[in-house]
Amino acid sequence: MSFELMSNLVGAFFTLCIFSFLYKDNPLYQMSEQLLVGISLGYGLVLTYERVFVPYFYQPLFLKQQWILIIPSIIGMFYLLRFSRKLSWLSRYPIAFSMMGVGASVPLAMHTSILVQMRQAMVPLESVNLFLIFFGTIAVLLYFFFSKAHAGLYGKFVNVGKWYMMVGFGASFGLTVMARISLLIGRIQFLVNDVMGLLK
Amino acid sequence: MNFFERIQKLDRRWIYIVVALAIVIPLMIPYNSDNVTTPPTENLYQMIDSFSGREDRALLLSFAHDASTMPELFPMEVAILRHCFERNIKVFMLTWLPQGGPIIDYAINTVKEEYPDIKSGVDYCNFGYIPAALAMPTIIGMGDNISTTVKTDAEGRKVENLPIMKALNNYSELNLVVEFSGSVAGMSWLFYARPKFGLNVSVGVTAVMAADQYPYLQSGQFIGMLAGLKGAAEYEKLVDVFAAYREPGSPIRPTFDEEGVKIIPGRSFSSDILADDAAKKLINITTQSIAIFSPAEFQLFIDKYPDKTALFNQIKTEQDGKILIDVRTVTEQQKEELGYLAWGDLNRMTRNILYKFKVARIGMNAQSVAHIMIILFIILGNIGYFIQKARTAKK
Repeated sequence: MSFELMSNLVGAFFTLCIFSFLYKDNPLYQMSEQLLVGISLGYGLVLTYERVFVPYFYQPLFLKQQWILIIPSIIGMFYLLRFSRKLSWLSRYPIAFSMMGVGASVPLAMHTSILVQMRQAMVPLESVNLFLIFFGTIAVLLYFFFSKAHAGLYGKFVNVGKWYMMVGFGASFGLTVMARISLLIGRIQFLVNDVMGLLK
Repeated sequence: MNFFERIQKLDRRWIYIVVALAIVIPLMIPYNSDNVTTPPTENLYQMIDSFSGREDRALLLSFAHDASTMPELFPMEVAILRHCFERNIKVFMLTWLPQGGPIIDYAINTVKEEYPDIKSGVDYCNFGYIPAALAMPTIIGMGDNISTTVKTDAEGRKVENLPIMKALNNYSELNLVVEFSGSVAGMSWLFYARPKFGLNVSVGVTAVMAADQYPYLQSGQFIGMLAGLKGAAEYEKLVDVFAAYREPGSPIRPTFDEEGVKIIPGRSFSSDILADDAAKKLINITTQSIAIFSPAEFQLFIDKYPDKTALFNQIKTEQDGKILIDVRTVTEQQKEELGYLAWGDLNRMTRNILYKFKVARIGMNAQSVAHIMIILFIILGNIGYFIQKARTAKK
């Protein structure tokens, strides 16, 4: 039995185990679910050891004798002190270092998600599309302005914003259905083509 | 209990069976449904295609996903890699997730089987797994210098020594990133590399995520977007119609003219070609086995292989003024005599698309039928609900 056939059969078995949940919860489904989580974690651990620990810690420190790396290594190990009641305060130092990355991304995220998006909403209303986007943006934003009662003409206007959101949620729901069906298609393609070789 | 009341109380397992059948039957019996391409997909295709044959241009594919989203994202990756190999475009790959490493290998091996001339380190380079914690320094560092930021590739070779790096330095050359992800695709590239270096960013996302990514597309921050299986199917179609296309007399590999200018096979994107009826035979996903030529086209085709003329004449048949070759009738010995190039060229003329290059389109057939079933269920359920409501009100 070739490796490919063997791996396909194992994949097919676990796929059917997962599908069995559609009938009702059962031990085969539970086993497959636990195995998936366990194997993913184990695989990630081994790969992280090989691709992170060895090239970024072991090799530079012990083979190239770059002793300066001891300092960040020790600070990194402070993370593990979360489990100690007395020394858990030390884990705040590596967290503070990680926050540097978060801090660096804030102005860039502001630029990408707010400034550029705002600039794009401030273009001349040359087409119906642009007008609809502009109108919708204002209506939706005003819908979330709760300091004024949603009544009268203002209420009617913000109600348009609600409809805009409903259209958006509908599109999201349609895309979600599409994604879930795609996942099912992928699994069935695996069973029908890779395992049984019926498709051409 | 009438029909609608029964539908209201239908056990969900019956619905599962109907949906499963709605998917399995179109998969087993594929039909040639067309898949209209949308601007986000066309824009990405054109951007990648503009790198064709250029030594000083490359794109980077970021595989930021694991196996759970493969049904939607893997066909996109295969289609883009195929596009790159067909049009002689340099491509780099990396992943921020440990589980992404094997997916890169799987994608590259799937496509490479059809392109034996493609070499690692020359035509493509796999950086492999780079920990997500290093994403920010890697993305910013590559803006200054790629080979000093990512020192070795997945095979452990020094990146600066690889032939692919000859004319590549930073984002001025490697000027397009396509990130595939089932969550916040492309955001780190958009945050760190686009504002600072002007890098072109594009994404391939699962359908669930597409709605969240549209604002960035609309504001022009994403060059293009492949959304779910539909996006993958569109890209597959574009590759078949333009990149994998060969005129009967044209070579199947890049050639050079008298002035040494590289001529890349395939053809450039054109909306007119897409709208033309002639393109329809290039997007057939049902199995094709007959190569059809006009006499002039056949002459042009066999002129490429002067020593094989007798063999081509032996296997051809004529019908309605056209010359036909059914590749199923070609024996193993004849295949050997034709040789790898001539046989591959002839097989390509059947316009037969290998299963692995039409996975998303076959999936879209099933998708359409499943959607019709779901809509039908929703309509029936609603009718039943309102009938029941009216009856209760009457009582």
